[in-house]
Amino acid sequence: MNMIEIKNLGFSYQKDDVALSDVSFNVQKGEWLTILGHNGSGKSTLSKLLVGLLKPNNGSVVVDGQTLSEETVYDIRKKIGIVFQNPDNQFVGVTVKDDIAFGLENLQIERDEMLKRIDEYASRVDMTDFLEKEPQALSGGQKQRVAIAGILAMQTDVIIFDESTAMLDPKGRKEILNYIKKLNDVGVTVIMITHDMREAVLSDRILVLKEGHVLKIGPTKDILLDKETLESSNLELLLPLEVMHTLEQKNINYPKLKEFLWQLSLNT
Amino acid sequence: MKVVIGRYVPGTGFFYTMDPRTKIIALIILMVATFLIDSLMLMLIAIGLIVLLMIVGKIGIKRVYLGLRPLMFLLMFTFVFQVLFNRQGDILLKRTVFYSPLSLLLGIGLIVMWLFTKKFTRFKLFYFVAVIAGVFYIFTELGDLNPFAQSTLAIYEEGLFMAMFIMLRLIIIVTLSTILTITTKPTDLNLGLEHVLKPLKVFRINTEDIAMIISISLRYIPTLLDEANKIMLAQASRGVDFKEGKLKDKVMQIVSLLVPMFIISFKRSDELANAMEARSFVPGAKRTRLHVLAWKTLDSVTIVVALLALTLSITLRIWPWI
Amino acid sequence: MAIKFEHVSFQYKSIDNKGYLALNEVNVAIENKGEFITLIGETGSGKSTLVQHMNALLTPTKGAMNIFGIKISSKSKENKNVKFNPIRKQVGLVFQFPEYQLFEETVEKDIMFGPKNFGVNEREAKKRAREAIAMVGLDESYLERSPFNLSGGEKKRVSIAGILAMEPDILILDEPTSGLDPRGRDALLKVFYDIHTSLNKTVLIITHDMNTVYEYARRVLVMREGELVYDGDPVKLFSRTNVDNWNLDVPDIIRLKQALETEFKLDLSGTIRNKQALLKRLEELLS
Repeated sequence: MNMIEIKNLGFSYQKDDVALSDVSFNVQKGEWLTILGHNGSGKSTLSKLLVGLLKPNNGSVVVDGQTLSEETVYDIRKKIGIVFQNPDNQFVGVTVKDDIAFGLENLQIERDEMLKRIDEYASRVDMTDFLEKEPQALSGGQKQRVAIAGILAMQTDVIIFDESTAMLDPKGRKEILNYIKKLNDVGVTVIMITHDMREAVLSDRILVLKEGHVLKIGPTKDILLDKETLESSNLELLLPLEVMHTLEQKNINYPKLKEFLWQLSLNT
Repeated sequence: MKVVIGRYVPGTGFFYTMDPRTKIIALIILMVATFLIDSLMLMLIAIGLIVLLMIVGKIGIKRVYLGLRPLMFLLMFTFVFQVLFNRQGDILLKRTVFYSPLSLLLGIGLIVMWLFTKKFTRFKLFYFVAVIAGVFYIFTELGDLNPFAQSTLAIYEEGLFMAMFIMLRLIIIVTLSTILTITTKPTDLNLGLEHVLKPLKVFRINTEDIAMIISISLRYIPTLLDEANKIMLAQASRGVDFKEGKLKDKVMQIVSLLVPMFIISFKRSDELANAMEARSFVPGAKRTRLHVLAWKTLDSVTIVVALLALTLSITLRIWPWI
Repeated sequence: MAIKFEHVSFQYKSIDNKGYLALNEVNVAIENKGEFITLIGETGSGKSTLVQHMNALLTPTKGAMNIFGIKISSKSKENKNVKFNPIRKQVGLVFQFPEYQLFEETVEKDIMFGPKNFGVNEREAKKRAREAIAMVGLDESYLERSPFNLSGGEKKRVSIAGILAMEPDILILDEPTSGLDPRGRDALLKVFYDIHTSLNKTVLIITHDMNTVYEYARRVLVMREGELVYDGDPVKLFSRTNVDNWNLDVPDIIRLKQALETEFKLDLSGTIRNKQALLKRLEELLS
């Protein structure tokens, strides 16, 4: 079942600055789709278009059967949440509790229900002990966890992670990926935007963007091995797969090694 | 670490239990009452009552005094200004001021000495007052050898009265405000303000938006301070010496700090706005609230007491028997 | 020795007077020529605090530093006559976020800002700006553009050019490749390596990327809770004990090497520090 249908989406910031052109793809309910691309390929523009923060010049976005328009944007924002890149620039509340409550206040959730949801979703990201803390007392990873809790509390069907780990240290990055995995396991549809191959490994399908176009979309396994496509968008192969690729190129046939390398890359 | 004027200090006592709305409304009522007082005696009684309240409410008087200290200069200036230039009423004191080379030399010498040595004294205020008295003495008593000019210094009754009056009024206003800010967390203050300003909605001013703006500003103050520090470090690494420099250099130093701060802030506004909208925020739309205020008996009592004080003030102004 | 730290400690004072020991008895010496050092450690381990001592933005609360002959102690009275500013010309520090330093109307003016603060005249500063922008791999046409209209990667390069134009003897960079895509990262690392080899300058990079550490560094400094726990060879750093004790990320190459050695008994001994070397060896072994 198609959760999201994108058809011929196009957007320009200014007359000759085409950020996206003719982008089409679908997102299945419950899947994990990674959008890969070089800096400037249009990844963030795409995520903003999906929640109506930008209005496309052409094409359409259909979410759960509803076409995104000025009238439906409020409904659609209840179905898709975004966790942005900068942990500081999406933290609205004075404390963790206030920040998680922010979205709920906007949705006019009653106070009793609000308190319940805050407790439940703070505990899902293990931030229960931090509810009264202020953002400057938190690490980047913790702030992103709060952002996730805030979106979870709004009970959206889809969560977009727009380079959410880019500003975190390795520890924070692992933390967040872990929580994203857990979310996807319980059925949340995940769209992850990144240029980090280690994150892409975890997804079901990968879409590669280059200069505003869809270069390729396919199952993760296929894309991860597609050296040409990846490198043309300034990305790299995971090391074990790079080795696999070279062996194939040199006609070295060693199936056991290949399988091993593939398994190794999945466990990065 | 010195206490910032009026900053919130956690504590116990009835001022802390009071609803922020009560404190704001009571403050306004009491300020009006204060401005209606026209007798010195009543002013002194009011101060006495406030001190009593602070003791009962467990607010450290020392802390409030510390909050007043930076204003000492303003208070002194107001006092002196009134004393010297208010020429109404009976004359209390009259002295001739002689300007002669000797008096000028001694007077200026004393002031220069004060400028250089004031760092070393602990009782700066007393030292300052002593120096002023000294200058006064020099110009009135020692100056009469070969004066090339002279003028009259006169202190009038009215002047002295007004000086004390205005000074006391300032003290009351600042003390009341300080009690408010010491006992109320900034976020609670903001919430209280939001409720209190609701009537302004009649004029199409959206008080919830204003409260949201204040709340976000409060949240980002530590972040901004941190960034300012980092920017200064980055620019210092490029040779900017924030401690030294002529005026032209200072301008460049400030620009090198402010431009990045503004750019970062604009980017932040853009990203934050996107994040808020994506979380279904619509300015002006109805929102439920996590934080609710609960009106207690204490609050009603406080408002009644404040209104009584106002009534008393109005009455005594019309029929002054104090 | 260009930089010498002896028992350097730094205590941050906080509002509630609790204080926090960011550096604890750090002893380290850095030459002004020929070193390529990476500084690693978890967030909060003291890396940034340490490098901020190296260009005298901070002074130690205990211990002493000697930077290019200028002695700085922990007693502020002794430091009263010390001019810290000249140190910042010799030890160039590039912060992680270019937004903290870019402020001029044009890229050229911004790059010239540093040198001019150190007394370089207008003509010479312009010349240096042109050289610096080329060094970071950007075209001269960037000089007239506004620094605010650039992409993240371009801003980073301009901020680095701004420090290079000061012609420092030692170049310190705080996470210069964070946020860049793989190609951007590789390109920038190559720039630093070229500066290091062609100008024989000492380069010190703070990074979280163990692959960078393994491939480029000849010397690694590891910070942990304010202490310098390792100062030496990157290859020896990634021994099993160190990795376990200090919770280090293992470079991809080492992980692959170890896995292949264990599972397939391949002989991957010797210095294999990057992709190309690894692929070459595998080709040899498996053809």
